[in-house]
Amino acid sequence: MSLLEVRDLHVWFELPNGTELHAVQGVSFDLDHGERLGLVGESGCGKTTTILALMGLFPPSVSVAGEVIVNGENILGKGESLIRDYRWKELAMVFQGAMNALNPLMTVGRQIVEPMELHGIASGAAARKRAGELLEMVGIAASGADRYPHEFSGGMRQRASIAMGLACQPKILLADEPTTALDVMVQAQILELLVGLSNELGLALILVTHDLPVVAQVCERAAVMYAGKIIENGTTEDLYHRPRHPYTRLLFATTPDLYDDDDVISIPGVPPRLDRQIVGCPFQPRCDSAFERCSSEQPALKSLDVGHSAACHLNDVPVSVTAKPESSPRNGQALDAVDGSDDGS
Amino acid sequence: MRSADYVIKRLAFALFTIFMAITINFFLFRVIPGSAVTDLARVPNATPQLRHALTVEFGLNDSKLHQYFTYLWQLVHGNMGISYVNQQPVFPQLLNDLKNTIPMVTIGTVAAIIIGVFFGIVSAWRRDSAVDHVSTSLAIAFYSFPPQFLGLVLLILFAGTLPSSGMEYALAGVFGSVGFWSRLQDIGIHMVLPATTLCLTLYGEFTLIMRSSMLETLGEDYVLTARAKGLRNGKIVVRHALRNALLPIVTLVAMSLGWIMGGAIIIEFIFTWPGIGWAMWEAVSQRDYPMLQGGFLILAIAVVGCNFIADLAYFKLDPRVSE
Repeated sequence: MSLLEVRDLHVWFELPNGTELHAVQGVSFDLDHGERLGLVGESGCGKTTTILALMGLFPPSVSVAGEVIVNGENILGKGESLIRDYRWKELAMVFQGAMNALNPLMTVGRQIVEPMELHGIASGAAARKRAGELLEMVGIAASGADRYPHEFSGGMRQRASIAMGLACQPKILLADEPTTALDVMVQAQILELLVGLSNELGLALILVTHDLPVVAQVCERAAVMYAGKIIENGTTEDLYHRPRHPYTRLLFATTPDLYDDDDVISIPGVPPRLDRQIVGCPFQPRCDSAFERCSSEQPALKSLDVGHSAACHLNDVPVSVTAKPESSPRNGQALDAVDGSDDGS
Repeated sequence: MRSADYVIKRLAFALFTIFMAITINFFLFRVIPGSAVTDLARVPNATPQLRHALTVEFGLNDSKLHQYFTYLWQLVHGNMGISYVNQQPVFPQLLNDLKNTIPMVTIGTVAAIIIGVFFGIVSAWRRDSAVDHVSTSLAIAFYSFPPQFLGLVLLILFAGTLPSSGMEYALAGVFGSVGFWSRLQDIGIHMVLPATTLCLTLYGEFTLIMRSSMLETLGEDYVLTARAKGLRNGKIVVRHALRNALLPIVTLVAMSLGWIMGGAIIIEFIFTWPGIGWAMWEAVSQRDYPMLQGGFLILAIAVVGCNFIADLAYFKLDPRVSE
């Protein structure tokens, strides 16, 4: 049994005009003890929505369906008052940027102590001592507990919120773009810290990011999301060297390589709107290898190898999608567009 | 010491502002056409001897600068001059008026703050619910009501049931001394209409500002963090959202408190409340300059004092304030 099992998770937002936005459309994945999973995709693909739904953090106006099974129990079915006991104790969270994740009017120490007292982990002097130890664990002096968030730099604030996330010894840490808004050096330090803590404490980590190199550096496994669905799921090795979905391949191709003078590629177009029914494969309009079947039938996520699955019709035909289809006019256009801008420099 | 520095700086700033207000007040009344003597004599055919005698008596034959320093010197000793109308010292009269104004204004304002903040929080927390719609519409309605109109409406509606003017029934004078509690009750009944008018004109703005401030705060990441920690809604609102959302309200209340003291002029006039607003209205209509000057000074001190208190409150509430 896995530590965390997510089964067929759906999230709908009701829009002011009465229609519904189907932000997460049947996401399923497993997470083992100490495993590091990357959740990758463009903005607006449902990554953050997925992890907020894991903790049941949406107000009642947002509909959530599916199962989130922690230690064999579906916490989504428990209702607000019971799910509260799981929050921060089983699953803790580190937010984007961390600039605003800390309350500006409370000392950092007080904010780390708060969940400990709430969940009965420790209280009083013992809790304050533990807060100091946690801060030292993330590389901040214990005396930092008496300071306010505005006295910290961006990187220190992110460290402090990681320390806060570890307060109740959770088994799973959800990190939502933990390194955006930080400079590259600090980014590297924070990632190193997360990997170190995960190894040291046996902490499972879900890292939400659109930054593929970060995933490759930190995670053993990754799930690529597109239009509210997981379209490919596998080890980072497999995804990088043997992608089975054109989106994954193109996503990796968009990352500039320092030692390669290949042109930087961008994927033309934008993800589809999720407030309408999508016919066919949601990636079809932007795909460089689409064929007739893609515009009429939506591909299901299929297991292809051990621990590797993808949702693409190309996997049913004997042509590997890893090979770049040089003849495809759509792909040619995309490259031309980027070439044009490069020529100018 | 961060706090000692801050308090001293703010205090010095407040004192300087009051000094500037005193100076501007003094010269403002000196550049107004007509002099104290012609106003005082009130008789177009006063003899030159009488005019001269009065000019000397009030020290108006000295230079303006000399008069200014005399005024300052007297002020320092708590002397604001003599009323032209009743020949009594201004300061004790104004102090007595202020004593009547403060309870009425305080009760009206505190009620407005409590009601405003409460409905602002409820509206924001239950956004788009029926409570929110009713509360916000009412707040906008009362916010846009001019106080004189609202006062008259209340006067018409309740004139029979509640006392409509004055501060107490004139029984004390007729039947000798009245017990403390019955006097308090008497004043309380008289206070209902003016204090309610003040409360209703103020609460709308407080509700609207509190609602928007609270909505903004509820959308902050630290509120989401608080939910993710497993805190109950009540704790999230009080511990994480409310304190942050209250910061703009503190400024708003402090800034309005100052002008409420003077702004209650209209309300005191409608309900004949014998407070400082009423006294200033009388002073204007009777050209009682020392009285008016004293009233202005007290209002200036009230405004500056409230802002000083707001600065201190802000300093206490927000650790980011250090300048």
